Amino acid sequence: MRSYLVTRIWQSAVTLVGVSILVFVILRVVPGDPAKMLLPEGAPQSAVDELNRHLGLREPLWVQYGIFLRSVVRGDFGQSFQYRSPALRVVVERVPATIQLALTAMALTVLVGVSIGIVAAVRQGSAYDYAGTVLAVLGQSLPNFWLGIMLMLLFGVTLRWLPTSGFHGWQSLVLPSVTLAAFPTALVARLTRSSLLEILGQEYIRTGRAKGLGEPRVVLRHALKNATIPLLTVLGLQIGTLLGGAVITESIFAWPGMGKLVVDAIFFRDFPVVQTILILSATIFVVINLLVDLLYTVIDPRIRYG
Amino acid sequence: MEKPRLSRRRFLLGSGAVLGVAAGPRAARAQARRGHIIAGLSERMLTLDPANHYSISSTSVLRHVYDPLLDVTNDDKFVPALAESWKPVNNTTWRFTLRKGVRFHDGTPFTADSVLFTLKRVRDNTKLIKSFVYQDLEDVRKDDDYTVTVTTKRPFGSLPAHLTMLGMLPPGAAGNEDAFFGKPVGTGPFRFVSWTHGDHVDLEANAKYWKPALPKVEKLTVRFIPELSTRAAALRAAEIHVIDRVWPDMVSTLRATPGIKVLDTPAVEAQRWHFQLAREAGKDPRIRKAVSLAIDRNTIIKELLLGYARPVVSPIPPGLIGHTNLGQKPYDPDKARAILKQAGYQTLTLDFVLMKDLYPKQLEIAQAVAAMLSEVGIKVSIRNLEIATAREQRTAGNYDLFFSGWAHMPHDPDWYFGQWFTRAGAEKLTRFSDPRVEQLIAEGRVPDPKVRQQKYEEIEKILWEEEPEIWPYYSVAIYAISDKLRNFEARRDYYVLLHEVGIA
Repeated sequence: MRSYLVTRIWQSAVTLVGVSILVFVILRVVPGDPAKMLLPEGAPQSAVDELNRHLGLREPLWVQYGIFLRSVVRGDFGQSFQYRSPALRVVVERVPATIQLALTAMALTVLVGVSIGIVAAVRQGSAYDYAGTVLAVLGQSLPNFWLGIMLMLLFGVTLRWLPTSGFHGWQSLVLPSVTLAAFPTALVARLTRSSLLEILGQEYIRTGRAKGLGEPRVVLRHALKNATIPLLTVLGLQIGTLLGGAVITESIFAWPGMGKLVVDAIFFRDFPVVQTILILSATIFVVINLLVDLLYTVIDPRIRYG
Repeated sequence: MEKPRLSRRRFLLGSGAVLGVAAGPRAARAQARRGHIIAGLSERMLTLDPANHYSISSTSVLRHVYDPLLDVTNDDKFVPALAESWKPVNNTTWRFTLRKGVRFHDGTPFTADSVLFTLKRVRDNTKLIKSFVYQDLEDVRKDDDYTVTVTTKRPFGSLPAHLTMLGMLPPGAAGNEDAFFGKPVGTGPFRFVSWTHGDHVDLEANAKYWKPALPKVEKLTVRFIPELSTRAAALRAAEIHVIDRVWPDMVSTLRATPGIKVLDTPAVEAQRWHFQLAREAGKDPRIRKAVSLAIDRNTIIKELLLGYARPVVSPIPPGLIGHTNLGQKPYDPDKARAILKQAGYQTLTLDFVLMKDLYPKQLEIAQAVAAMLSEVGIKVSIRNLEIATAREQRTAGNYDLFFSGWAHMPHDPDWYFGQWFTRAGAEKLTRFSDPRVEQLIAEGRVPDPKVRQQKYEEIEKILWEEEPEIWPYYSVAIYAISDKLRNFEARRDYYVLLHEVGIA
């Protein structure tokens, strides 16, 4: 186990260095001049050159990368070109909104998705099952931007039950998290249903029933636990995606999260912010993947590493 | 007849009124200032440093916190703000007389030292975005506490105009700018309270503002909502009171919502699609002329922009110094065809580059133009590129026609001419070069408005004839507001200024 852990951590570090090089090089190779994006359209070329010099973009690429790596080790991700303040601070300021939205959407996904999946599996072929299927198909096929705008118009503009947009209080969290959760909820519901159905057909379930265990105990304790493995993999990936930001949902609801920040930063060629976000999200992704792999051993004692 | 009853509420109201009268004018003023306005702006604010951006949203927010030396009215008049008066001493010297008795929000007085600090900082710190505009400042001298003389390396007639965009800072900000801009103080009508990045800024009234009886409200919140449909939804849900940058096709939905008013005004912006003058198509004046004749500008204005644009009669929009009426450009496809035939062009392809999603309806307009030009035998290939890429293509010269607009931001055309019609300015843009125009631009830099008007008229006549750009329409700025707002002015420069606005 220990050697497995050491290998995995080593691999993760190599992955992250690879990501940082890739991000660094791609940003600088694609066309687009950061100083030109910062200055108004009518700024003279001399001002563009001067600003690029201040931004450190006139050095050779490998020198820029060396400077960047040295600063990152010290926890300094450079100054955001656009915001004129430390990139890490700009990104960290968006963390609370991003995490709130991601966790709420995740909680909705697990609660609603797993519940629908269980009911659909246990009552296979019933009206509940069909309703669950319809919801799952809708959740997976309705585009986020459409769903978001419809929810906003209905609950914000027409009924005025919830705020249309912004980041203030739990009420403003409802519409974006429902929008964001629609797709993964559908995914989880379908996955729970199918893996539960497979397990409910196994012999040990029949044995459990034969020895007189109650149905809730059979389903929740014996079947669901075994159906959790594929679910965990999907949820792990989803958490990573959600924490990386949800661009469309954030744009629709003017949510000050990381997704919109990174897209704007890419458009405006704000290299330090893009680098910070991508390296941080890669780190989160790698760590969560590692945790999920380790969690398998806890849930299923038959899985052993090393 | 029933005897009128005096309810508890009425009694309290009545006694409150008596107390109000007794407390005198101060209480009356405080009573006059009430309410909380929430604005929804289209662009996120990036910085609290007035010298470090050219963003319109940031200007809208920061104009409430900092005052400039001069203000510009909606009818393009330059009026006193922190400078009571200003005059050119000669072509390269300006003298500013400052307002007395003004204090920053932290109580320090506004004096010549503030002006010296602000102007020298923006000139000397070339990291600041506005720095390049002030490179012509030679010296900023304090004659006394309330008089400042500015000398420039060459005539700088548009200096007062540029100063409308530069908020004055207290000299105490020197040395600890990071801390200062974390919680800045200005002399403006509102004090800075907090900024939730990417979401909103909270401001509160500066009770000691130097303009009497302003601002009209206690609190001002500016929310940043880049998506137009979201901004409009927030206004329709009565969460906010004003939105900017409404597109023409959103107007009817907003008009149909009770409690909402839509306001529009001709902007200080002219659309101008520039030719790459070093490439075959742009180089030949006959082709430029044919393109111009083949574009039906009125159809674009009427059908695609639903009337929310104005026909162009000269490169500079009405109201600004230099504007003159040279008559609308004709739409004459037959003549265009004849010119092309005479010039011997059988097939011609124009590369039309757009900066993605920047201007209302731009793709539809470009497609309409492509159809119009195909009528006269010019094939248009539209390239709708991400902004940074489009600009890079322009620098490299890889385009024939470039879709762009120009907002004459300090309400002065010197910047436009200097950038686009001088050899140095246009070198990496349109490759324009004409010594006559260059000479006139230099001569038009003097402070004398009569000379400037005359030189600019001459420049415009040359440009109108040569057509290095197509000027399809002057833009219109559209805003939507709650009918609870009082005294809101739809600004030509796209600013949302609320210090004189009240709320019912």
